[in-house]
Amino acid sequence: MATSMLCRRTAIFSWAIRRVSPLKSYNPASSHCGLLHQIANYNPKPLKLNLKDPYIPDRESEKTPEWQKTAKYDRKLFGRYGSSSGIDPAKLWPSHAQLEEMIAEEREWNPPLQVMLKNVEVKMKEANAKRLAREKLVAANMAKMPKMVADWRKEKREAKQKLKDEKARRERLLAEARERFGYAMDPRSPKFLEMVSEIEKEEKKKRKLMKRRLKEEQSHVPPAASSADSSS
Amino acid sequence: MSFTRKPGGKALDILQNLPRISLANLRPEPGTKKAEKKRGRGQHGGNRSGRGHKGERQRGNRPRLGFEGGQTPFYLAIPKYGYNEGHSRRAQYQPLTLNRLQYLIDLGRVDPTQPIDLTQLVNGRGVTIQPQKRDYGVQLVGEGAGIFAAKVNIEVQMASEEAIAAIERNGGMVTTGFYDPRSLAVLCKPVPFFISGQPIPKRMLPGEDMVPYYTDAANRGYLADPEKIQKARIALAQKYGYILPDISKDELFHMLSMIKDPRQIFFGLSPGWVVNMAEKKILKPTDDKLLQYYSS
Repeated sequence: MATSMLCRRTAIFSWAIRRVSPLKSYNPASSHCGLLHQIANYNPKPLKLNLKDPYIPDRESEKTPEWQKTAKYDRKLFGRYGSSSGIDPAKLWPSHAQLEEMIAEEREWNPPLQVMLKNVEVKMKEANAKRLAREKLVAANMAKMPKMVADWRKEKREAKQKLKDEKARRERLLAEARERFGYAMDPRSPKFLEMVSEIEKEEKKKRKLMKRRLKEEQSHVPPAASSADSSS
Repeated sequence: MSFTRKPGGKALDILQNLPRISLANLRPEPGTKKAEKKRGRGQHGGNRSGRGHKGERQRGNRPRLGFEGGQTPFYLAIPKYGYNEGHSRRAQYQPLTLNRLQYLIDLGRVDPTQPIDLTQLVNGRGVTIQPQKRDYGVQLVGEGAGIFAAKVNIEVQMASEEAIAAIERNGGMVTTGFYDPRSLAVLCKPVPFFISGQPIPKRMLPGEDMVPYYTDAANRGYLADPEKIQKARIALAQKYGYILPDISKDELFHMLSMIKDPRQIFFGLSPGWVVNMAEKKILKPTDDKLLQYYSS
């Protein structure tokens, strides 16, 4: 590859058939399945290096501009004219101080591969952990969902039921009032309220009686059961 | 004597006796060049010369493109979203289809008997890379995978799975390598770089975001494990349903297995060398520190 680049100026002018080409160093003994492979060798644009009449600035004179005395320009001179430019080739490479700077810069901005791989791994682990945590949370919440849905539905049902009960109760009370007093009265009037409180008291008494009865029954039944057990 | 005939015959005679070809002797094939149509000149194009009747149209005072007479124009009414945000900082990879690669090989612009590199593609004017415009190289695209039939050792900067499969199916090798912008400029235009007299720089490693790409064997990254690459080749062959040809038995095996060192820009040239075009010489540094730096 390098040789083909360096031989730019001496390339063959016309199309060259692979086997006959004298420039190529190795001769492929057999072409691809017997096919001839032609490679275009262009005549490249001539490199106008101006070797016959070079301009090499006078380093001592004051008239030459400053930029023609810099190291960068010297390198360009060498690149164009070669050793006839009169530049020490050792100047082409960076000096020790410059080299130190370059190394420091590289160390700061271009970490070695191992460091980068570690960083990449750390980042990936973090991202994975985050993703896992989120997915776990989502899964946990999804597991709770059926219960939450059921609860919500129950609540709604109960609320509805409550409303219905309330309505029914109010209608019953109205009917009671109607029965007792003989006319449809306003539920907000004091008489109605009195009636309501009376009904409530009666219901309380009834409940208390029921509770007492239940207790008595329970207290009666266990001794009877235990006596029955002991007897049998 | 009467049997020997000059090859070419009368045509060759004519060619040899006619005068030199110059611009004065040439004319295009009749029917290839159609005369351009000039609008607004003459009898029915005259008068207003195709400009219309009065108003801004005729007087050439139309408002700017996109103006909708005062109504908020389309390009301002649509709200912005970050599609183009940071577009000038995104890496771009010039696509190279397998169709184009086959075309270049068939025309002989790219030599398949040598490793194909970005330099070879640029020399053959196959792709145009602008390193200054955030181009980071060339990406191999799978279009034309069906007709691709060339055994090549190609090095690109990115490659799609289909393209890798197509090349390996024909017994070739693909490698993806990273070139930082300075190295890319050197790679695309080597001769102006050599004329500038600088030592060949060493290639930098990719940034953290691209390291996973180039260390992955599935992408044939240049930093990946060779054994993993071999396994990936077999796996890809199984995935795409072709028999992986054994390139170790190939006559061009040495060429096909040529891979660049991660710090190397050119085959056969190391970082730190100075190539002089005027005298056709290569200068190598001898200083220890320099050698250590360039070989790190």
